[in-house]
Amino acid sequence: MLTLRILSRNPSAAAGGGILAVMVCMALLAGVLAPYEPVEINLSERLQGPGADHWFGTDEMGRDIFSRIMYGARISLRIGFFVVAIAGGLGALIGATAGYLGGWVDNLMMRVMDVIISFPSLVLAMALAAAMGPSLNNAILAVAFVMIPKFARMVRGEALAVREMPFVLASRVAGAGHAWIILRHILPNCLNSVIVLATLTLGDAILIAASLSFIGLGAQPPMPEWGAMISVGRKFLMDQWWYATFPGLFILFTVVGFNILGDALRDVLDPRIRR
Amino acid sequence: MKRLLRVALCLLLACYAGQSVWAGTETLVVGVSSDIHTLDPGVSSDNYDWRQIYPCYDRLVRYKVMDGKGSTEVEPSAAESWEVSPDGLIWTFRIREGITFADGTKLDAEAVRFSLQRTLDIGKGPADNIGAIDVMRVIDPMTLEITLKNPYGPFLQTLATNGASIINPKIMQHAKDNDLAQAWLAGNMDGSGPFRMVEWLRGQRFVLEANKDYWGGAPALDRVIIRFMPESADRRMALERGDIDIAENVLIDQIPALEQNPEISVERHASQLVEYVYINTQKDKLKDKQVRQALSYAVDYQGIIDFVLQGNGVQMRGPVPLGMWGHKPDVFQYTRDVDKAKALLKDAGAEGLELTLIYSERRPSWEQIATIMQANFAQIGVKLNLQLLANPTLRDQVDKGDFELCLGAWSPDFADPYMFMNFWFDSGLWGLPGNRSFYQNEQVDALIREAAAKADVAERTRLYHQAQDVIMEDAPYIFLYQVQTIVPLHKNVHGYVFNPMLESMYNFESITKN
Repeated sequence: MLTLRILSRNPSAAAGGGILAVMVCMALLAGVLAPYEPVEINLSERLQGPGADHWFGTDEMGRDIFSRIMYGARISLRIGFFVVAIAGGLGALIGATAGYLGGWVDNLMMRVMDVIISFPSLVLAMALAAAMGPSLNNAILAVAFVMIPKFARMVRGEALAVREMPFVLASRVAGAGHAWIILRHILPNCLNSVIVLATLTLGDAILIAASLSFIGLGAQPPMPEWGAMISVGRKFLMDQWWYATFPGLFILFTVVGFNILGDALRDVLDPRIRR
Repeated sequence: MKRLLRVALCLLLACYAGQSVWAGTETLVVGVSSDIHTLDPGVSSDNYDWRQIYPCYDRLVRYKVMDGKGSTEVEPSAAESWEVSPDGLIWTFRIREGITFADGTKLDAEAVRFSLQRTLDIGKGPADNIGAIDVMRVIDPMTLEITLKNPYGPFLQTLATNGASIINPKIMQHAKDNDLAQAWLAGNMDGSGPFRMVEWLRGQRFVLEANKDYWGGAPALDRVIIRFMPESADRRMALERGDIDIAENVLIDQIPALEQNPEISVERHASQLVEYVYINTQKDKLKDKQVRQALSYAVDYQGIIDFVLQGNGVQMRGPVPLGMWGHKPDVFQYTRDVDKAKALLKDAGAEGLELTLIYSERRPSWEQIATIMQANFAQIGVKLNLQLLANPTLRDQVDKGDFELCLGAWSPDFADPYMFMNFWFDSGLWGLPGNRSFYQNEQVDALIREAAAKADVAERTRLYHQAQDVIMEDAPYIFLYQVQTIVPLHKNVHGYVFNPMLESMYNFESITKN
């Protein structure tokens, strides 16, 4: 609660939170608010400019771009959520185990993470998505995979500090097992940093997933995914500016929203800065 | 920073080099949608390959240009003159003196015999173009006698097609394991035509250079560059900037803007180019003609023509296009009927069908057609997955029959319904040669083979019409539409001649720039 109150007084956090609240509302209420069906083709209305009927215009199939963006918010947020849940969960577990146990386990796990991180994340995600076959779920898995090392590295660093804490030593003396200590002591103490990193990663994840869809490796037609919309829309960019522009703006807002919220959260939650 | 500088320097150099080599009035640049497949005239059945191959070789005859328009009549080219026996079976060609290949080898009767025989021996699609040939005999070095299996009306026209290109017999020195030098000729050319190949950078460009010693006179252009640019918007922009002179396959939505540009003229030509969907009749549920009929009933033909093509096309009625004899104006035509399609699927026990449609960037409208078909099919309960492939990959898969549905385009090489009826439906021509739905129907085979073996047009028409009724019932393809060919080019390009028999091919030898 204290955190929330501090956050609401931070202007950039409020701005980021505001943008994200709008996105989440769009995603949740798309079924109610969207004026048109996102995948229904209406050829006689194709490539209409923004106006009263179609706020953001229509695409080459006569579909309402505003409605598609609203449904697209669902897809993007779902991607972000799953990527962060998978990458954050696995990454934190790996990091906590490596940091707590140390020794050869630490070495092995972290070297594997180094291998993953040594690839540019977009390139690795592309290769994985292409190898698994183009689909949205595969894209989510691919992006999640490349995000794991970020979480693992950070949590390991924290775990190294936490394992020297008196309460951890006390538990060990009292006969607690390694698994119990990792789950009950190490992970909860890293939670704040994980939340900060997760918020920052959400933006990245959405961006990479949109890039995969842009090159055809993510969401498949007729899914109203933002990156896929830009991919088709750029072919019409010279005469129909609105087609690629609006999905692009929404990617921009979402990613910026997550980033400034993440920054603000770090200011509030990060123990090193708070002290 | 250092790296950035180096990159910038490289780019600058590239621009400079690009300008010094390619700009100028003697170079013609054509922007096209996709890379090509092979350069072997005996193998390729793709007009996009022929665009490069055709100007590098001579043929016995060529299509005449009348009043600036391409016609389906032929005139002498490498053959100076010819005679035909009264029964139409024995043709004697007198070869023109003084034609040589790049290495000095003379183009003589033996070279012609060798080339035609090679194409026939390879037995791919082009072999069927000149399939009327029975035997050939070299009478003297400059006289060739060709005996036909049966009198065949369009025989002379078939000698103007790409498969009848005359190749230097010396290529046999590159032959490996009895491949008739196919491996070498797939990436090289050795002809006597007005142009010669300079380089083929895959995915980038193909460069042709004028043959200054061409027997028909040196071409006005020094160089022709074919640039592979997959995006329609890129081709349009490059044309407007003056980077390219001709833009092939510009999306129809972008044509009105080009027509506004005073430096560009947009030519529209009546063509016999059709676009259709190959249904692989050898795959699971697609073996059932009811399923294929259902798919044919599902498509919103009129919507596609009115909106995607903006009216620049008509729905196909039967396989033979409008404007070619053998077209049957009253043959059954599928129109959109969702209820009927659903009923057919139910009868066939194929509800909940899931199919994959492959297509390439070859024709810019295909992405939209594919998306519309996806929505149309969804309405009859068929889930359609779309898969965009590079054109050469797509062609490999079609040849192997490794697909379910595929978007395709076809145009005739000579003015005879053989180009459609026999190529598309003869079960001996499965794959790229023409029968791309791997269709087999004994009745149709018998009818079209009989039609091909006859000379009488009325009788052939009757047989082809009969076959068309069976074919429409079997629905091996989804017959979409016949389009106009739209060619946007710079106003300083003169002498371009369109011929519906030479779709996507250019008369580079007589084009000039100022």
